[in-house]
Amino acid sequence: MIQLDISLPRLFAEGLSDLHIQADLESGSFTALIGPSGSGKTTLLRLLAGLEKPKQGKMVVNGEVWLDTDKRINLSPQERSIGYVFQDAALFPNLTVRRNIQFAASRENATLVDQLIAETGLEPFINQKPVALSGGQRQRVALARALVRRPTMLLLDEPFAALDSEASHQLRQLLLKLHQDWGTTTLLVSHYDTDVAVLADRVIRLSQGRVQSDQTKAQARIKAISPSEPIRQIYFDEAEQEWVIQTDTSLLRSRNPTWSELRINDYIQVSPLFRQD
Amino acid sequence: MPIDWGPIWLTLRLAGITTFILLFIGVPLASWLALSRFRLKPLIETFISLPLVLPPSVVGFYLLLAFSPTSWLGGWLLDTFNVQLVFSFVGLVVASLLYSLPFMVHPIQAGLENLPSSWREAAYTLGQSPIRTLWYVLLPNCKPALLTGIVLSFAHTIGEFGLVLMIGGNLPGQTRVASIAIYDEVELLNFDTAHTYAVLLLGISFLILLLVYGINKRVTI
Repeated sequence: MIQLDISLPRLFAEGLSDLHIQADLESGSFTALIGPSGSGKTTLLRLLAGLEKPKQGKMVVNGEVWLDTDKRINLSPQERSIGYVFQDAALFPNLTVRRNIQFAASRENATLVDQLIAETGLEPFINQKPVALSGGQRQRVALARALVRRPTMLLLDEPFAALDSEASHQLRQLLLKLHQDWGTTTLLVSHYDTDVAVLADRVIRLSQGRVQSDQTKAQARIKAISPSEPIRQIYFDEAEQEWVIQTDTSLLRSRNPTWSELRINDYIQVSPLFRQD
Repeated sequence: MPIDWGPIWLTLRLAGITTFILLFIGVPLASWLALSRFRLKPLIETFISLPLVLPPSVVGFYLLLAFSPTSWLGGWLLDTFNVQLVFSFVGLVVASLLYSLPFMVHPIQAGLENLPSSWREAAYTLGQSPIRTLWYVLLPNCKPALLTGIVLSFAHTIGEFGLVLMIGGNLPGQTRVASIAIYDEVELLNFDTAHTYAVLLLGISFLILLLVYGINKRVTI
């Protein structure tokens, strides 16, 4: 069980405010963090990883205190059992694929490195440097590297953002398999509804640094009453380069180009996970 | 025409030793400046950069006062280690270290600051210490900046004149470097010898810079 209650002053689109997140995460769960840009999703991941220092808060991971500002406890990123996949993969350009994955592994973990290389399908590229890899391959290396220390918590910051649909699909399948096989508690920041629907068993929607809604798939299923809803508003958000659809219950965002064909009063099916009620 | 090669070797020795020592001072200092959020960092950066804007005679004058056996520092060095910094090769090295420090620190600091912060953070989340991250991730990825720092320090030390004259004077074999020798020969109206020294310095500097630009183009990560 991961218990967190943290706050940090932060500048949001609407002005300076406190990011304040309070949540309990089941061990082995897969939670998606969704919400508009600047709502604090990445900041929350960075706080969990110890890359940002909160003003106040407490974080207990499987009984171990990682953060307690009252007791002046704040474990460094090195001391926390985490794997972090950055949006840009953050692979080390001077190291080959194998050495990138090996970099964090202890000597006893040589077989683990081979196992991860095999599971992520990276054997053909082990002697190549990151510059020679595609976006999807880089994210697979980043994922393998993040898992090599057998982390308690796997933090994924928009790993699908720069991938085409085929590469995204492959990475999603791989991610789901590794999450299940390795038993990590996984947090995924994503803008893509498909990622969330396929992967997450819980969806936390953030807005202005606060939890706006928090639903598990089971809760969502119970609430699934109406099969479809009319579109009340649809427009293209130039800043985010994505389509935005407002229904009576939901605000949906996607970069899916087929959304351009939708019109006001068209009926669409909305996954209960995205409802704002 | 035969010339005394002493000043040329002395110049290269001074530049070589200065650059070698600066590498060990400059890399940690530049790394700390690039990665630290220390509040007094601007003050330290200002001190390091002072030789860039001050005339060499000003730096030389204050170092001369500091190194003098009658000063606290000069007296202590003489009494404790029997080292005299004024009018000695060791004094030239120490003065050159201070004078060429920004030429080593600035390129490396800029190189490190330009790397994506996610590389450093990724290494930290992989359990790596800041020193291991610096050694295995950050420095190997800013080789051009390291090379620029090394070459600029070397080339700048070769070209020193005012500071050397103030601290070292003109002692053959000890402090008479090539730039001083040129000045000396011109004063004696030996233009041919001055010309030979000048061409040698020009050639060395040109070759060094050519080497840097050539290597920097080829350096791939």
